[in-house]
Amino acid sequence: MSSKAIVCRCEDVTLDDVEHTIAIGYRSVEEVKRYTGLGTGPCQGKECMVHAALLCARASGAPPETIAPFTSRPPVAAAPLRIFAAAEKDDDDQAQR
Amino acid sequence: MPSSDLRLPHPPRGAPVTLRFEGRDLPACEGESVAVALYASGERVLSRSVKYHRPRGFFCLDGHCGACLMRVGGKPNIKACLTPVKDGLAVERQNAFPSGGFDVLAAADFFFSSGMDHHTMMTSPRALNAVMQKVVRQLGGLGRLPDERPGGPPPLPAVSVRHVEVAVVGGGPAGLAAAATLARAGREVLLVDEQDRPGGSYLAHPSFGVPAADRAADEARAAGVELISRAAAISWFPEDAPKPGAPPGLLAVYTQAGLLELTADRYLYATGAYDQNALFIDNDRPGVLAARAVGRLLSRFGILPGERPLVLGAGPYAQALASALENAGAQVTRVDGIETRLLAAKGHSWVRAAELLAPGAKRAHRVRCDLIAVAALPAPASELPRQHGVPVELRPQGGGFACVVDADGASAIPKVFAAGDVTGFKGPEAARTQGERAGLALARSFS
Repeated sequence: MSSKAIVCRCEDVTLDDVEHTIAIGYRSVEEVKRYTGLGTGPCQGKECMVHAALLCARASGAPPETIAPFTSRPPVAAAPLRIFAAAEKDDDDQAQR
Repeated sequence: MPSSDLRLPHPPRGAPVTLRFEGRDLPACEGESVAVALYASGERVLSRSVKYHRPRGFFCLDGHCGACLMRVGGKPNIKACLTPVKDGLAVERQNAFPSGGFDVLAAADFFFSSGMDHHTMMTSPRALNAVMQKVVRQLGGLGRLPDERPGGPPPLPAVSVRHVEVAVVGGGPAGLAAAATLARAGREVLLVDEQDRPGGSYLAHPSFGVPAADRAADEARAAGVELISRAAAISWFPEDAPKPGAPPGLLAVYTQAGLLELTADRYLYATGAYDQNALFIDNDRPGVLAARAVGRLLSRFGILPGERPLVLGAGPYAQALASALENAGAQVTRVDGIETRLLAAKGHSWVRAAELLAPGAKRAHRVRCDLIAVAALPAPASELPRQHGVPVELRPQGGGFACVVDADGASAIPKVFAAGDVTGFKGPEAARTQGERAGLALARSFS
């Protein structure tokens, strides 16, 4: 078994992965997410996003309040698709999308 | 790993039931979740990680960490920590071959000992790479499709639509206090909470526990609050209207009865905070638990989580938990994480020791332990308010991206409030106070 410090449990993203990503120039949470896959698993970043944000802030020297989270998209918690299946919307509603 | 039952004599338990765990019968008690019942029986490896197939147990025991997804009742990817036990319920580990206890796919952890580039799935040497390309296809995905149901799929659950004066999301100290305050002021309040029992962070805190949780919930109900448990608010949909002609914007709530499309004159987010891990080597080993998960096992479920626990953290919660564990008979090691640092967890399918670096020491030393309770600052659960447009700010002292609100809990978005740990972690007592104040302000906002 090899030694790893895990930042994102869902996607097995390690501290080494995140530090490498920052070292090659990516300094935003969104970039770290896209490069490593961090935050894209079942928990959607509930455990890793703040670590990524703080590592980005430290590496760039930017004040924490200037660091943005990645976009929160539905659903916040896992839900079976079938609960949405009965929610019929009319065609106009669909066409607007 | 313990083999005997870890249930303490207190508190009183529900009726005994039997779980079917991978073909074996395991004892459980009504009121426990699947994850808790397995823990009490010494079954700690609940899943395998998606890439390296590292063994995983639950971390947060609060429905958020994604580490306890199991196949339950023939359905994949069910959160074992939020699923109540039932007599005869079939529970299996997924994502492992041939079994969760022994998984040959864990070879991925060796092959990619220096990490895996998930863009290419390449490793070296090249011969190994060719083998890996074939194996990789077997590695992907999470779980298998549900068992086929005799008689076809059940009918789709109906969608319900409701409008209330105040919708409160989250049944912890802040949400319950705000809801009770609002109901006493004569307002119609619907509170949705994703857990099977209201109380939120009270239930994880040895100084509060079940009595404080029940008192707060009883007060809210007595004041007239309608409280729905196992109801997770999963999205704010700004463009959707629940009915033709209604103004757009609705809260989607996943209830046990199906989807609830909820709208309200005022919204209060009291969604709390997510448990966070600390960054050390092998911090994902089963047995490295969020301190509040250990608190839940002890205070809510009456289970002695370990005989030699190590508590990592310098704050008041770490102190309270360490004392409570000692009172329950455990031999506790305390590590503040500042002066003395935790470098690594040792052990494979369960933690056996911790590697520590004492102040001024050149070399690490080992301490034997059967549990590492990480009391890191929890991170505000601000996704839903963010979807609703509420601004957030990264506050290291508040645990993460905290909702920006005024002293009354009002956000920059009209009619949208937030209170409790979601505005920056503050603990149960301060969260309750802030919830009460937000409740008063919300009540005033109607006149």
